Amino acid sequence: MSPDARKPSPPLTLIKGASSAAASAAVCHETKLEIAGPDRDIDWSILMARAQEGDGNAYRRLLNEITPYLRSFAARYHRDPRDIEDSMQDTLLTLHAIRHTYDPRRPFTPWLVAITRRRIIDRLRQQKRSRSREARLEPEHETFAAPETNLSETASDARALRQAVEGLPPGQREAVKLLKLEEMSLKEAARISGLTVAALKVATHRAITNLRQKLRNWSREA
Amino acid sequence: MSNASDLIETLATRLAPVKRLSPPLMRALLWLLLAALVLGLLAVTQGLRADLEQRMHEPLFVVGLAASLFTGILAAVSAFLVSLPDRSRLWLLLPIPALVVWVSTIGYGCLTDWVNVEAGSIRLGETAQCFATLILSSLPLSFAFLIMLRYAAVTRPATVATVGSLAVAALTATAMSLYHSIDATLMILMWTLGMTALIVTLGSLFGRRMFGWVGPRVIGPQR
Repeated sequence: MSPDARKPSPPLTLIKGASSAAASAAVCHETKLEIAGPDRDIDWSILMARAQEGDGNAYRRLLNEITPYLRSFAARYHRDPRDIEDSMQDTLLTLHAIRHTYDPRRPFTPWLVAITRRRIIDRLRQQKRSRSREARLEPEHETFAAPETNLSETASDARALRQAVEGLPPGQREAVKLLKLEEMSLKEAARISGLTVAALKVATHRAITNLRQKLRNWSREA
Repeated sequence: MSNASDLIETLATRLAPVKRLSPPLMRALLWLLLAALVLGLLAVTQGLRADLEQRMHEPLFVVGLAASLFTGILAAVSAFLVSLPDRSRLWLLLPIPALVVWVSTIGYGCLTDWVNVEAGSIRLGETAQCFATLILSSLPLSFAFLIMLRYAAVTRPATVATVGSLAVAALTATAMSLYHSIDATLMILMWTLGMTALIVTLGSLFGRRMFGWVGPRVIGPQR
């Protein structure tokens, strides 16, 4: 009952730089090295058989040897290096969980490739599912739900403010221009305007109150 | 990648010896023996149908019976083979010829001698007995499949569940036609094909989840 015992399986190839961010680009590149030949398969088969008997060192060697192949295999299907790494670790964990299903009389590579492919497909399906449910978080999602909070400041706002400032009595207008628009200190403003600091403070306070009233009226009209 | 080497180190340190699985044919045989035991016990408790000897002379009945039996046996073998990650999916075709013969005997029976359900011929007793056979044979056999093939949870859960359900359904249908006088064509259709479709549908719908419950716990990566 083993007509498929030696069926051709996809060769495990090592791709240069597969662990780097450029892994997916490397897939298309002509840098594949055919390494997992028959000799290597027999080595792995022996190591796995010893691992099944509880030999931790053989197991460690096997897992360390197959890791680069798993990584480059995963790089054929995933773009994100984190996905490649997660797929590879998923495969190692699955291999560990069902290590008793390996039959040492059969080649090791098809068994490993079947598990690896399964894990990659599962991950791709899961990503597809979550993509269909989720939306990417954009900056505009971070503001509040009320529509007016999402309106950006428009030119008319600036114009309204400028008009409101121009409509102030001269003393107040000068105080606002010097202290708020040109951001001078009280002392500098007092020197330039010839007013006292106390007079400037009073004028600014009155100006702000006036502006608040004017802008409130303006937005109500708008 | 330190994460991967950490993981390998953890797995290698925690490594416990495991018992290799017996060859799939051996395990399929074991399951079939269990099936024979369950169906045998049912025969003892429920009794064979009264007109069995007479029906055994009808070629259509015999061919249909043999075909459903073979469908069950071959589907079980197929399930055990396909459950292993490195076996070809083509093994899924194994029960198909027997299945085709089985379904066509039923179809042929429908065409040639449609037996009407006579008034009063559906007795509650017989229907209840049919249900009992259905539950008593399919539940333990499905449960045994789940346990024996639990490792398939991480490889091909849906496929294995579907072909496994076919095995359970076909053997249950065999039992049904051995134990119960379901001669009305409609009844045969309902009890054999309908039940098979039901079990296979349930298996393919919920198989993945069922295997998820009994399947091996893949330990999470150490972070």
